[in-house]
Amino acid sequence: MPVVITAKNISFAYVRMPVLENISFTVEAGDYIGLIGPNGGGKTTLLKVLLGLEKGRGEIQLFGTALEKFTDWNKIGYLAQKSPVAQSRFPIAAEEVVLMGLPGRGARVGRNELKEVYAAMRQTRTRQYAGRIFNDLSIGQQQRVLLARALVSKPELLILDEPSTALDVESREMFFDLLAQLNTKYHTTILLITHDTGEVGKHISKFMYVDKKLVFFGTREEFCHSPAVAKQLGPFAQHTIDHLHNQHGHCPLGASCKECHHG
Amino acid sequence: MVEFLSYGFVQRGLLAGSLVAAACALLGVFLVLKRLSLIGDGMSHVCLTGVAVALLTSTSPVYMSIPVVAVASLGIMKLAKKFKIYGDAAIGIISAAGLSVGLLLTALAGGFNTDLLGYLFGSILTVTRGETILCALLLLIVAGGIFLFYRLLVATCFDESFACTRGVPVRIVDTGLVLVTSVAVVLSFKVVGIFLISALIIIPPVTALLISRTFKQVLWLAAGFGVLSVWIGIYISFIFNIPSGAAIILINLFFLFAGYLLSKGVPRG
Repeated sequence: MPVVITAKNISFAYVRMPVLENISFTVEAGDYIGLIGPNGGGKTTLLKVLLGLEKGRGEIQLFGTALEKFTDWNKIGYLAQKSPVAQSRFPIAAEEVVLMGLPGRGARVGRNELKEVYAAMRQTRTRQYAGRIFNDLSIGQQQRVLLARALVSKPELLILDEPSTALDVESREMFFDLLAQLNTKYHTTILLITHDTGEVGKHISKFMYVDKKLVFFGTREEFCHSPAVAKQLGPFAQHTIDHLHNQHGHCPLGASCKECHHG
Repeated sequence: MVEFLSYGFVQRGLLAGSLVAAACALLGVFLVLKRLSLIGDGMSHVCLTGVAVALLTSTSPVYMSIPVVAVASLGIMKLAKKFKIYGDAAIGIISAAGLSVGLLLTALAGGFNTDLLGYLFGSILTVTRGETILCALLLLIVAGGIFLFYRLLVATCFDESFACTRGVPVRIVDTGLVLVTSVAVVLSFKVVGIFLISALIIIPPVTALLISRTFKQVLWLAAGFGVLSVWIGIYISFIFNIPSGAAIILINLFFLFAGYLLSKGVPRG
């Protein structure tokens, strides 16, 4: 499998307070990775360092190119944890927000660009909000518009920071189904910070557990079925594993779980 | 009215004032949304240094102030980045430095005189032909820049982090915006005076933001309010023999109040 992200010895500190220490990993094309860990464990910072939004130490390659030289940003879709802190009087329509995901620079908007914008908005069921002012939408609706912005360039890698926190149950289901579809149908690589392991766990192929250091990185089977791993990872990981098992001992991975299937 | 417009210096004042007011308002839209609107205030204080240097060396205050203010604006950005402080603190530091150096040089130049007072409170009717051409060039650069880089500018105002992940050179965009603003600030001090420049950058965009439904509408309305305030302000100052700078800003404040009342009835979305 082609490598999408290579991270070697990534470290980052806020004014001498270490947030990430010597993290190394490789993400392959088609991976659907759940990035988990306790609050303040450095998950969001890790994503920001990977995208060059924070300057850390170490080596990062995106699609085989060093981050400093990487220019092919259309290959990456990013959805941040929080909606942009735009002023409430920022009069920008939802469709213009989605348009930001396309590479154009000038004031003129092409017909094909609009087509792409509306297609992405249909994917996230936000087409009906296209003409509405972004800040007048609910937080959940805004989050779906921002997902459309992340998807509009048809990225090969999606980086999402706790995208489902503001969504209602129906929107969350739609959201995770869409991610699963992108991953299976279009082979989109997904790196997702989530605490919602119960619902999304069935789609995730690998777990990455970060608590300042990379404590665990492996397949979901390894993560779910290794008591040793749970013991090593501490209470948060144990809680996550319990959540994955619905606290009844039933493996939520179902028939797709190789270990349960063979067991 | 016809008599008022028949004077050459009035025509030049109106033209230069309109050009610079439109440029300031257009730049102001982005500065207000980026929460950098006070940068105009900081730069205007630095103008005093440029004017004082010009009076000391008997050179043109406008041409002398442009490099001084441009360097100061870069200083504001560097200071904020280097010491990891908020932009308003960096603006405050550079503004105080500019004002104190300006006052010191003014004292060395023999204290306040009529020339300096003209720059402090505006003297739109003394705008030269060369300065008017410079104002036209400024508006051309501002309007052309917005047309060519519209989406980049809007994206950096709306969501800087996302813009970075699209490969938008946010630092270069910000530096360009601040440098052009420094030229606009210098060209504005004859229109409204050093003390009131920031109002020309802040009030028309805020008024436009109150009543607009699209971003493009904000740009058009902000420029429109800026230009209209110059025309009405100069006319009133001519009729009642009052300072033109103050009249222009008071008209802008009237527009702001009217915009606020109108915003109550404007449907959004």
